[in-house]
Amino acid sequence: MNLKLQGGKVYDPINNVYGKRMDVYINDGKIIKKNKIKGKINKIIDCSDKIIMPGAIDMHTHIGGGKVNIARMMLEELHHDHNDSCDSSAIIAPTTIKTGIKYIQMGYTSCFEPALLPINARQAHSEMADIPFVDKGGYALLGNDDFFLDLVKKKASQSLINDYVAFILNASQCIGIKVVNPGGINAFKFNQRALDVDEKSNYYDITPRTIIKILTKAIYDLGIPHPLHVHCSNLGVAGNYLSTIETIKAAESLPIHLTHIQFQSYGNNGDRNFSSAAPEISHYLNKTKNLTCDVGQIMFGQTVTMSGDSMSQHKNHHHAHPDKWMCMDIECDAGCGVVPFRYSDKSFVNGLQWAIGLEVFLLAKDPWKVFLTTDHPNGGPFTSYPHLIKLLMDRSFRNDIFEKLPKSVQEHSILKSLKREFTLKEICIMTRSAPAKILGLKNKGSLGDNCDADITIYDQNKKDIEDFFANPSHVIKDGKIVVKNGKIVNYIWGKTQTVKPEYDAGIEKILGKFFDKYHTMKLDNFKISDDEMTNVIGSEIKVNECIHKRK
Amino acid sequence: MKSDNKRYITCPFCSLHCDDIQVEVNNNKFKIVSENIKDCTSKIEYFNIKKTSNLTAISKYKKINFNTAINAARKMISRSEDITLVNHGTDVNGVRSLLNFAASHNCVVDHVNSKYLYRNLGIIQRKGYMATSLTETRNRSDVVILFGNNILKKSPRLIDKVILPKHSLCTNLKSRKLLLVGDFDAQSVKIAKKNKHHIENFKIDLNDIPEILTKLMSDDKLSKNLEGIRKIIKKSKYLVASWITSDFDKCNDPDYVISSISDFILSMNQTSRAACMPIAGSLADATSSQTMSWITGFPSRVKFNGKSFFHDRSICDSQEIIRNRNTDLAIHISTVNHNKVELNDKIKNIFIGHINSTFNIKPDIFIPVGNPGIDHRGIMFRTDNVVSVLLDKIREIELLSTQDVMNMLSEVDN
Repeated sequence: MNLKLQGGKVYDPINNVYGKRMDVYINDGKIIKKNKIKGKINKIIDCSDKIIMPGAIDMHTHIGGGKVNIARMMLEELHHDHNDSCDSSAIIAPTTIKTGIKYIQMGYTSCFEPALLPINARQAHSEMADIPFVDKGGYALLGNDDFFLDLVKKKASQSLINDYVAFILNASQCIGIKVVNPGGINAFKFNQRALDVDEKSNYYDITPRTIIKILTKAIYDLGIPHPLHVHCSNLGVAGNYLSTIETIKAAESLPIHLTHIQFQSYGNNGDRNFSSAAPEISHYLNKTKNLTCDVGQIMFGQTVTMSGDSMSQHKNHHHAHPDKWMCMDIECDAGCGVVPFRYSDKSFVNGLQWAIGLEVFLLAKDPWKVFLTTDHPNGGPFTSYPHLIKLLMDRSFRNDIFEKLPKSVQEHSILKSLKREFTLKEICIMTRSAPAKILGLKNKGSLGDNCDADITIYDQNKKDIEDFFANPSHVIKDGKIVVKNGKIVNYIWGKTQTVKPEYDAGIEKILGKFFDKYHTMKLDNFKISDDEMTNVIGSEIKVNECIHKRK
Repeated sequence: MKSDNKRYITCPFCSLHCDDIQVEVNNNKFKIVSENIKDCTSKIEYFNIKKTSNLTAISKYKKINFNTAINAARKMISRSEDITLVNHGTDVNGVRSLLNFAASHNCVVDHVNSKYLYRNLGIIQRKGYMATSLTETRNRSDVVILFGNNILKKSPRLIDKVILPKHSLCTNLKSRKLLLVGDFDAQSVKIAKKNKHHIENFKIDLNDIPEILTKLMSDDKLSKNLEGIRKIIKKSKYLVASWITSDFDKCNDPDYVISSISDFILSMNQTSRAACMPIAGSLADATSSQTMSWITGFPSRVKFNGKSFFHDRSICDSQEIIRNRNTDLAIHISTVNHNKVELNDKIKNIFIGHINSTFNIKPDIFIPVGNPGIDHRGIMFRTDNVVSVLLDKIREIELLSTQDVMNMLSEVDN
């Protein structure tokens, strides 16, 4: 079937197209050039009053795995969100079906779970397989697992560590590697309550800096497209911008991605010992090559924080709202903590967090280096993206809200002085092309020839920015129209995006012995095969290429 | 299926889901080869084909062919006004198929052990909770307290795999302490003492657990026995508390007992590390609650209604619904259950279960399905809820899975 999107204003940053009026052709799930079309055009969508962009990509959203289920079960009383098209589950911890529906209705066609514990991978993939419409993927957590720390302690070669990293990506069917509070989660299991970048863990005698250095090198050597995805030490602690900067330095100029950097951009100046360090962090972001970040903007209202950072979550459980929480140590692999939280616009700290996130966005010079996230649901639910985009694109809207915050917040933030308003071009880069590029998704985030036909069509007549981004007129996934005028018209199931770097099979022998000796399952059961993904878990996989052969 | 075939299987029949059990399969008969797992051997070999096995479908007392059974079940379903689905244990794909069916036929879906689930879940729905998993306990704990009386009998390999294994990564096993607190009988104590580690058996009425724990955390003067335990606890660096919820059934207030253990653990974490590790039931309880949670938002007891559904743990209690005959058709799904299943003869019953299922009365229709892990592949969740295991196929007796059968039944015009 041939589909033509006729005469829309096209934004396709990867191909340097910004607002040019043109036709887009789709055949068999792919975008194709006009001259490659065989046969007649079966359907034409008149896009003369439409704006066409590639489908959006959320590169950091907690949508699957044990912690999400803990939140669903813990917050049963919040599952009363009744509307016409979805179930009643709370948007801060939605069901898999609601997750898919809400994302696709906003024009998002790919989403990535950033904290996938290898030992919990089977659950995370099973869960994400039940999310309709979107493609998905996960970043495997490393850097707190006892096997890795033991290798580092014993000064194993970088090559052996590279084998382990590559094995984990293959076995857990992931697309990237993330480290959360490097070494800190493991240290918490030995009752350490904090671990700074150059502080050694009591048991393994290893610093977070060493972990960052080794993992960034492994990813570089293996040619994995996505740089090490880092949740830094000291998350949420006043004055933590210094450890954020030290984490950047730890990568020693190799590519590194800092996640939810808003939570890592705090100073400790002023009468309340809490201040914005967004200018300092942005300075580093702007000047450092190979450094990218997503923001993790907070939104006012009820949410639930879920993180692999059990050390930090345990520390913060006193702020739980409602007053209940859970932390867990997991399988000598990682940890997790789930703490419900309400961001209040009356609170000095929460108000300043809101402003800090926006400052980071607005001070970033290059939209290819900064990604639009709320760290769903930690900063707020993903459904608040249209509101966030409006905050970035409309200065007066932003200032109206800012002026309603406590005076103390206004005195501590430079937000009002930032006159920048993001353009459609910049939003398109931040939400489509840049995430596709940083994840190595060559067929996504672009409307070029032979790319996946994941496309969002917006109604140019919608004058309100929030309405514009919340309600695209059409969403096309894999060449099929799945959303039309806000209504789901076709149910389809996306793929799981992975990467499979090479490794020496010898690592499996070493790891197999470790599992037999210390684990409560066998290594063979830990590994998820392609066949299992397709025929038991229920999701087809798409293997993305590495940047280069292993060094 | 190839004969003379030795292989490892993942056991689907208790919540530990051990995957180091070696079986020998000959002509579709499987025999446990691994040594020193006597209690598991009988549980697993129970699912072999016997003279009494029902390999064909049955309508009351009459054997019928499979297609006839499916058609009869479809008719019964289409005539029913209120269907209740009772899960006695199935794999992830089985649960997915129950929910698909429920969505198209407006059913209640419940797991038979939901009341135990809600007792443990109650803690995280009311207050804080610190948890741990099997491998953490194996490698990090220096003190393990088992509360109750039957935990070691219901999870036979908890001792050798988790609490007192041969190897531990971060602790000296020789100094690991095991405390039994409750009403453990001689057999349980014998199991616990197998590896000659330091074991204290502190016999108390289970109702007294909250009071004892409060005393242990206080500075009050204690009896000699208790003082000894307090010393062990105060010195601990990673303490694990474990229990099986059904052990507290006869307590005056089971919720209070469980809550007191959790509070004790929270209190320990102010200065040291400690965590809870409750052991789930053997009817794929964790598999049901996890899968239902991601699909519906609720771990159990959901009633579908058109496009939407609601949850109410009282209204959607399948046992109460069936007892009060607020349903005209119960569909029971049972693929790992050793126990006799109680059916209510005042309503219609369809039973989709393994070939050695037993009942108090004959169901109206019995449809045999395979065991996940024996007759087909599947996924189940372990007791700690964070590890899910892949179950393999080791026998070929041409039985469909629960998912296959439920999908066939879903095809009824509603």
